[in-house]
Amino acid sequence: MSQADPKATRVVRELKYNSPFISCRFDSQGRYVFGGAQDCTLQRFDVAGGEPVECPGHDSWVRAIAFSPDGEITYSGGFDGRLIWRETAAAKPEPIRTIDAHDGWVRAVAVSPDGQLLATAGNDRLIKLWKSDTGEQVGELAGHESHVYNVVFHPDGKELASCDLHCSVRHWTIADGKPQREFKIAELHTYDKTFRADIGGARGIAFNAAGTRLALGGITNVSNAFAGVGNAAVALIDWQEGKQVQLFKPKEDLRGSTWGVEFHPDGYLISVVGGGSGGFIYFFDEKAATPQDEVKLPRPGRDLDLHPDGLQLAVAHFDNVIRLYTMQKEEKAEAESKDDKPQETAKK
Amino acid sequence: MHPSLPSRSLLPASLACRRLSAPRIAWAAVALWLVAAASATAGEPLHVRIDQAISKALAGQPVAERSSDEEFVRRIYLDLVGRIPSLDEAQEFLHDGSENKRAALIDRLLESPEFARRMQHVFDVMLMERRSGNAVPEDEWRQYLYDSFTKNKPFNELAREILAADGVENRPPARFYLDRGGDPDILTRDVGRLFFGMDLQCAQCHDHPLIGDYHQPLYYGIYAFLNRSFVFTDESKKTFFAEKAEGEVAFKSVFDPSVDEKDFKPRLPGGAVVEEPTFAKDDAYIVAPAKNVRPVPKYSRRQKLAEVATDGTSRQFNRNIANRLWYVMMGRGLIHPLDLDHSDNPPSHPELLDMLAEEFAASGFDVKFLLRELALTETYQRSSLLPEGMTDEQAAPERYAVALLKPLSPEQLAMSMMEATGVLQRERNSQSAKIDKDPKLKDLLETDAKRQQLRAALVEQAVYAAVKGNIQQFIGMFGSAPGEPEQDFQATVHQALFFNNGGMLNGWLSAQAGSLVDRVQKQQEPQAAVETLYLAVLSRLPDDTERTEAVEYLTRDPSARTAAVQQMAWALLTSSEFRFNH
Amino acid sequence: MKCQYACQTMDHVIARRTFLGGLVGFGSAMGLAGIASPLAASQLAAQQKHMLVIFLHGGVSQLETWDPKPKTDTGGPFRAISTSVPGIQISELLPHTAKQMHRMALIRSINTKENDHGKGRICMETGRREMPGFTYPHLGAVAAKLLTHESNPLPGFIRVGGGNGVNKKDAAYLGPQYASVTLGDGKPPANSLRPDSISALADAARNDFRRRVSDRFALRRRAAETEAYVQSYEQAQRLMERRDVFDISLESPSIQEKYGNHEFGRHCLLARRLIEHGVSFVQVGHSNYDTHYENFNFHIEQLGEFDATFAFLLQDLHDRGLLEKTLVVVMSEFGRTPKINERYGRDHWGSAWSIAMAGCGIQHGAVIGKTNDNGTQVVDREVHHGHLFHTYLRAVGLDPTESFTLNGRPMPVADPAVSAIKELLA
Repeated sequence: MSQADPKATRVVRELKYNSPFISCRFDSQGRYVFGGAQDCTLQRFDVAGGEPVECPGHDSWVRAIAFSPDGEITYSGGFDGRLIWRETAAAKPEPIRTIDAHDGWVRAVAVSPDGQLLATAGNDRLIKLWKSDTGEQVGELAGHESHVYNVVFHPDGKELASCDLHCSVRHWTIADGKPQREFKIAELHTYDKTFRADIGGARGIAFNAAGTRLALGGITNVSNAFAGVGNAAVALIDWQEGKQVQLFKPKEDLRGSTWGVEFHPDGYLISVVGGGSGGFIYFFDEKAATPQDEVKLPRPGRDLDLHPDGLQLAVAHFDNVIRLYTMQKEEKAEAESKDDKPQETAKK
Repeated sequence: MHPSLPSRSLLPASLACRRLSAPRIAWAAVALWLVAAASATAGEPLHVRIDQAISKALAGQPVAERSSDEEFVRRIYLDLVGRIPSLDEAQEFLHDGSENKRAALIDRLLESPEFARRMQHVFDVMLMERRSGNAVPEDEWRQYLYDSFTKNKPFNELAREILAADGVENRPPARFYLDRGGDPDILTRDVGRLFFGMDLQCAQCHDHPLIGDYHQPLYYGIYAFLNRSFVFTDESKKTFFAEKAEGEVAFKSVFDPSVDEKDFKPRLPGGAVVEEPTFAKDDAYIVAPAKNVRPVPKYSRRQKLAEVATDGTSRQFNRNIANRLWYVMMGRGLIHPLDLDHSDNPPSHPELLDMLAEEFAASGFDVKFLLRELALTETYQRSSLLPEGMTDEQAAPERYAVALLKPLSPEQLAMSMMEATGVLQRERNSQSAKIDKDPKLKDLLETDAKRQQLRAALVEQAVYAAVKGNIQQFIGMFGSAPGEPEQDFQATVHQALFFNNGGMLNGWLSAQAGSLVDRVQKQQEPQAAVETLYLAVLSRLPDDTERTEAVEYLTRDPSARTAAVQQMAWALLTSSEFRFNH
Repeated sequence: MKCQYACQTMDHVIARRTFLGGLVGFGSAMGLAGIASPLAASQLAAQQKHMLVIFLHGGVSQLETWDPKPKTDTGGPFRAISTSVPGIQISELLPHTAKQMHRMALIRSINTKENDHGKGRICMETGRREMPGFTYPHLGAVAAKLLTHESNPLPGFIRVGGGNGVNKKDAAYLGPQYASVTLGDGKPPANSLRPDSISALADAARNDFRRRVSDRFALRRRAAETEAYVQSYEQAQRLMERRDVFDISLESPSIQEKYGNHEFGRHCLLARRLIEHGVSFVQVGHSNYDTHYENFNFHIEQLGEFDATFAFLLQDLHDRGLLEKTLVVVMSEFGRTPKINERYGRDHWGSAWSIAMAGCGIQHGAVIGKTNDNGTQVVDREVHHGHLFHTYLRAVGLDPTESFTLNGRPMPVADPAVSAIKELLA
C-alpha cells in the first residue's frame, strides 16, 4: 500500500484566479495543474503555487484536458469545438496546433496508453481519433444518439469506452473503429417530463488499472432536472460482462452530481461531487455502495484529478480556486488515529 | 332566548343564543327601532307600493300585459327554486282555477327546500364570483349558504358572519376573505362592491377621476377596517384570517400633493369615523403575536366592520343588498351596474330603492320577505312579450315596462335541462326509495311532526348530491371567469358544441324508462305526444302552428319515431325560449 | 404610498363626459365589453391580420439567444454568430434562426422588474402588471375580439398544447366568446365531432327545428342576447365542417418532416394551418427553459429543438404569403440572470432581457435597445411589457389607445401610461 490515506485528506494549497473553474488536470509529470475557467481561458499553475499562466487559443470553456505520457504536450478540447496542442512547460504556452475537431462542444479528450492516439468526444455525437504527433484524423466513430459526454482508453490500448447524455455506453475497437457493444446505464439518465429535457451522462469516466472496471460519475434519481434535484452517484461496471456491479452513492441522499472519478492505484475509487448540498470527495471500495471515507469541501466540486504520485488531488471550484489536497499520512495523524480519535479533515 | 327580544324572531335564534356582547345589543336596539318606525308608516303592502313607484315613473306610458300563467309558472320556478317546473307541476298550476294561485305558489316555493338551494347558488355566485381556492372547500361554503337559507337566516347576520370571519370556529364564511388571499386591497374592492355597491378601486390612488363621489377617503375608510388583517397559516398548513392590533392607514394622492393623510381611521361609506377603544401597546392583545401563534387583538377592526355595516343603520349596505335582490328577480338593478352606486349613475327609481332598503332592514333583513314582495308585484308579473307598437324608448330596460329576459345561470340551465329530460325525477324516485328504506331514518320519518318537510329536504339534498357533478360541468361551460361578475350574457361556440355533440345532453335524451323521450314516445296519439313534449320542456302547450309542425315532424317517418322525439326535444331544449327566463 | 395598479385601470385622459355618456342608456343586453366606435375602421382593416406567439416557458436566457455576451464573465461558453442582417449577431445556438434575421427584429432592452413566473407571464401576456383581484385580458383575447371577422367560425384565440379546454380567465372582462381554446396535444376542440349516433341529416333536421322555435320566440322580444345565442349554433356547425383545419396529417410528409418530428414541430405546423385558415391569434408553447441548473446543457437541448423548427416556420409563413400579415413574437415570462450560479445555472431575471419579433408591421432587421457589456443592465431604450403590448397591437394595425367599454366603464386596451415602440413599427 502507498503512503496515501483517504482519512488524512486535507487542503494544502489554493490556486487562485479571477474566474470560476470548471476543470483541472495534473500533467503527467505532476509539475503543473491546468484549469479551464469560465472566462474561456485555460490557466496553468505550478503545483507549488504562484501566479497562473494563461494558455491562449480557445474561444469557449475548456473542460477537456489531457497530456502526453511524458507530460511534455498538453492537449485541450473546448466548447468551441477546437482541439489544441501546446508545450506543457513553455514560458508562453501558445498553441502549436489547432484543429476544429468537432461541430459543437468537445466534451472530452483522452490519450492512448502509448501516447500515439488521441480520442475526442463531442456534441456532434461522434468520437474522433487523431494521431498525436501530426494531428491527422485517423478515425470517426459514429453511433451515439445524443451528445457524447466522455471517452476513455482501455488500459490495453486496443479499446475505447464512451458514454453519452442518455448514458448509453459504447465499446469500440480501435484497430477497425467498429462498435463492439452498447449497454445503457439507466440509473444515470432521466428524462424530466415536467421540463421536457434529458439529464444524465458520465461527467467523469475512468478504467481501473487492470481494465476490469469502468466507473461512470453522474446524477441519479432526478426529480427536478432544472433545479438539479438528484443524487450524485457513480456506476461501477464490470467491463467484461458489461454489467453494472455497484452504484456508489453517499450515505445520505445529497443533492448534486458527480463531476469527476479516478481510480487510485491502491484500488479504491475517488469521486468529487458538487450541487445544492455542497461539495464532497468520496472514497469508495467496490464491495460497499456507500463511501468508506468522505471529505467535505468548502464549496461544490466541479472536477477532480489525481496526481501521478497518487498522493495529491486537485478539485476545481466556482470561487475562482483550484484546491490541492494531499492524502499523505501525517505522522501526527497516525499517532492520533492510534488513539481512535476522529480526524478533523476526514470522517468515516 | 334573551327575554328582551320579541317573539317574532328578528334576530335568529342562533345569534340570540350566542353571547350578546355590548355592541350587539346596541345594534339590535337600533334595528328594533327601525322596525317600529317602518311599520308605523307602512300602509299598503310593499308590493303595492313598489308598483306605485314603477307606475309613477312610467307616467301613463304603455306596459306589457300581465304574464300568462304559462310564463308565470316557468318564471317563478326558475327565480325561486332555480329550475323550470316539472310537467306535473306546470299542469297542476295551469289547471288550478283559484283566484290567488300565484301568491299561493310563491309561498309554497319559498318554503320548499329547493328555495334554499337556489339562494345558495345566487349568493355563492354573488359573493365568490366563481373564484376557486381551497382555503375553505367549496362544498363546505355551499353547505353553509344552504343551511343559512334553510333557516332563512337574516341577510345582515349572514353578512356579519362573513365580514367578521376568522375561520376558527365557524369556518365556511371565512372563504370570502381567505380565498381572495386576504389581500387588503382586493378585499377593500370586493367588500366595497359586494356589500356596499361601490367599486372604489379607482379611488385607491387618488379621487376617482371620473366619478365625483368616489373619493380616496371612501376607499381608505373601508381599507382601514381590513388592513390589520392577514392570512395566518398554522403548522398544519391550515389558514385563518387573523388580525393585529396595530397598523395605521396613511395615503397620498398621486395627483393632488395637498392630500397626505396619516392615521386614517375606519369609516363606512356614508358613515362617521368609528369610535375605537384605546389600549396600551403591551395590553392590546388577548393573544399576543408570536412565531406560529395566531394573534387575537382585544379590539378587532374587522369585527367592528361586521357590526357597524350590518346593524341596520348603514344606508349604503341596505341599498346594496336591496338592489341586488331586485336584480335577481327583475334582471336589472335599480342601480346598474350593481357596483356603481354614485350620484352620476343614479338609481332609475331613487325613492323606490330607498324604500326597498328601509323595508328590507325593517323586516330584519328577511330575504324571503323581500323576494315574496317582489314576486307579488305587477312589475315582476308582466309579460316579456313586447306590446304592438311599443317603442324602444318605452321598452327601455330601466323602465320595467316589459319583463326582461334573464339568461339562465349555469345552475338553472343544468337543473332545468335535467328536470325537462326526466333526470331529476328519476333521481328523486331513486333517492326517495333509498331514504324510505334507510332504517336509521325510518323512525324519524314516521314520528317527527314535520316529517313531510324533513323527508322533502332529505330527498332534495340527496338529489342535489347526485347531480352536483352535472351542475359543475355546466358551470365550467357557462359560468364566468373566476373573479368576474356573472351578469352579462355571452354565447360561445363551445357551449353550442357542448349541446350539439357532447355526451351529456344527448345522453339525457335517451329513451330509458321514465325519461322525457320515453314518456313522450309512449303516447301513441301524436297530438298528445307533442303536447307532453312542449309542456315538459317549455312549460306551455304548443300553439296551432307549432302543433302542426311538430306532429308533422313526429309522423314523417314512423320507423324513426324515437329519433324524431329526441330531435324535437333537443331542439326545444336548445332554443332561445329555453335558454332564457322570460 | 403604493399605487401599483389602480392608476393603470382607468384611462385618465378620457374625458369625464365621454365616460358618463357611456353609462347613459347602456343596457345590459349589449353584453360585455364593446369597443368605442373610432376603432371600427382600423379594426376592419386589421381583420386580415394574425398574431402568433411562441412562448418559451420558464424564461429563456437572453444570453443564449438574442443578446449574447461572449467571453465576458456572464457570457457562458457560447459564441455569437453572424446573421442574415449585417451587424446583428445572436447566439450560436440559433444557426437556422440567424438566417431568418432579415425577417425579424430584436428588442434587447426589456426591464419588467418581475422575477416571478406567474407574474412575469401576466406582464407579458396582458401588457399589465398583475393586479390582485382583477384580471386583464390576454393579448390573444384582445386579438380575438379585434381581429376576428364574424364570418370565421374558428375560435379567435387558440393555444396549441396543454390541457384540452376553454380558459375563460384569458378573456377576463371581454367575455367567454374570446376565451382561449386549448388544443391539447394538437387535437381538435372538444365536442367538435358529431357523435356517431346522430346522422348529419338528423342533426340538420333538429337544428332546423331549433331555429324555428327560436325565431318564433324572438319575434316579439327585443334582445341582442337571443341573436347571439342563435348565432353560436351556426358557428358550431361551421366549425364542425372545418374540422380538418386541425389535422396536420393532411400536410405533406416533407413539410411535416421540416417542421420536425417532435411536439414543438407538430404544434408549429398546426399553428401555421390555423393562421392559414383565419384564426386571429395562436399561441404555441415550448417547454422548458427554467434552467437553474446546467443552463448551458439544457439550452443546447431546448434551443436545438426550437431553432430549426422556428426558422422553418418563418420560412414557410413567408413562402405562403402569411408572414406579411402575421406578427410573430417569441417571448418568455422573463430572461435569465447574467450571473452564472455555482451549479452552471442561471436564475430568474426580469431586469435586462430580450424578445424577438418577426413578420408584419415591424421594421425587419431592427434591433431596439441595448444592454451593457456583460448584460447586467439596460443602457438604451428601456421598455417593459406595456410598451411591447402597444407595439404588438400597432404592428397588426390596431389602435391600442382605444378603450373597451365594460359595463359603461372605459377599459383602455393597453396601459395608457406608455406607448408603442414607434421606431420599431414599419
